[in-house]
Amino acid sequence: MHKKRIIFTLLYDDGFFMLSRNFRLQKVGDLQWLKKNYNFSHIAFSIDELIILDVTRGERNEDKFYDCVKSLSEECFIPIAAGGGIRTLEQARKLLFFGADKVVLNYLVIKNPDIVSEIAKEFGQQSIVASVDVKITGQEFTTWIDNGGVKCEQNLPKILNNIESLPIGELYLNSIDRDGTGNGFQIELLDCVPNLFPIPVILAGGAGKYMHFSEALKDARVDAVATAHLFNFIGDGLEENRNKLINENFDLVKWNVNLVTNLRKCL
Amino acid sequence: MSAPIITIIDYGMGNTWSVMSAFKYLGAKVKLVSDPEEISRSSVLILPGVGSFKSGMESLRCSNIDESIIDAVTNKGAKILGICLGMQLLGSHSTEGGKTDGLGLLSNQVERFTSIETDGLKVPHVGFNSLHFSEKKGLFEGLPDLADFYFTHSYRMLVDDIHGRYATCKYGVEFLSAYEVDNICGTQFHPEKSQTNGLVMLKNFAKL
Repeated sequence: MHKKRIIFTLLYDDGFFMLSRNFRLQKVGDLQWLKKNYNFSHIAFSIDELIILDVTRGERNEDKFYDCVKSLSEECFIPIAAGGGIRTLEQARKLLFFGADKVVLNYLVIKNPDIVSEIAKEFGQQSIVASVDVKITGQEFTTWIDNGGVKCEQNLPKILNNIESLPIGELYLNSIDRDGTGNGFQIELLDCVPNLFPIPVILAGGAGKYMHFSEALKDARVDAVATAHLFNFIGDGLEENRNKLINENFDLVKWNVNLVTNLRKCL
Repeated sequence: MSAPIITIIDYGMGNTWSVMSAFKYLGAKVKLVSDPEEISRSSVLILPGVGSFKSGMESLRCSNIDESIIDAVTNKGAKILGICLGMQLLGSHSTEGGKTDGLGLLSNQVERFTSIETDGLKVPHVGFNSLHFSEKKGLFEGLPDLADFYFTHSYRMLVDDIHGRYATCKYGVEFLSAYEVDNICGTQFHPEKSQTNGLVMLKNFAKL
């Protein structure tokens, strides 16, 4: 059986990486800064997967984003999913060519499922991650597109129903309410996931400390947890959390991070 | 003497960027090559690949790369590592897209996971899964027991009649997940997406 996964999500806005709180962005630094000050390549050795999302609020420079994915994939030897603003097969193809293994789709899943099918036909169902941004409004689980700017007609249960019948490999379920708060994942979102949901579920939004990971990973409905919080888990934060979870018998892969320095330029 | 250049075969089927990046990280000299003559002159070959067996073989044949690989490996003793579809293409044949012959460097064949075998498990098999090694030498030197690697595939190579070193993985049924038979190596998983475990294996291959 597969192990559970810890995923790091990098939020990108026009050349910079961002910290997000309830989808409001704050600039942290560019790629060089991230590599230098945050030793990102080291962090990447203690996670199972990397997600890179272009959440640019202004005008998008796609080529610049492709370069960023390309550059990150040079030093991250894990599956990489990339997305944000994908509207066409051609955009998906470019990301997959530049080192991404999967594309993250949000708008297309809700607004244009035909293109989702086209991408799946060419690259396989496993190469598609459907990302759904959710907010609890009164009693209702509402869903949003365009970086949380536009509310959709369908609520979360309805969208999850649609996803079941689409050629999609994974679900990235993100809480707008908890995003960047560090108050813990919104576990209630999982109540909307139908029994025997056919694809893995990644829970995102709100992780602030070890307990949040352990709480979510204990839940049988969760296949992976994601955090986009650059500060909460920076330095050795993620590595320590991971080791603690493994010591508590959570079913995670044991990566041998100590080997990293011996491997670089060893040939 | 400087280490030989690693030739990554470019036949339009695969994520060559990530494989190149992993070898560069290890400090190897790599070259992406599509010219059959240059391939038959190479001493270290990588055959990556994503996609279906049938279209993979068609691409190799159209460009005459199939013959140059066989020439380099069987006549000139070049070592080769097939990754994912590349690993399968080195085998005898596959049932994907109708029975299709492979390069035949290895006698093993490729079949789809059957629903009986994978009872209730999802196909494609996607994610990290653990390996069981026949011995931890050569391609598998220095790896921990049950080391995890990243898989994404619906067809798999049967374990039958394998001689040499090999590793199996279980997904409902046991299948051949890596092999080292003389100068011919293959991995069903993506070493370039398997953290330090994958880098160790690529380093081992380069040093074989």
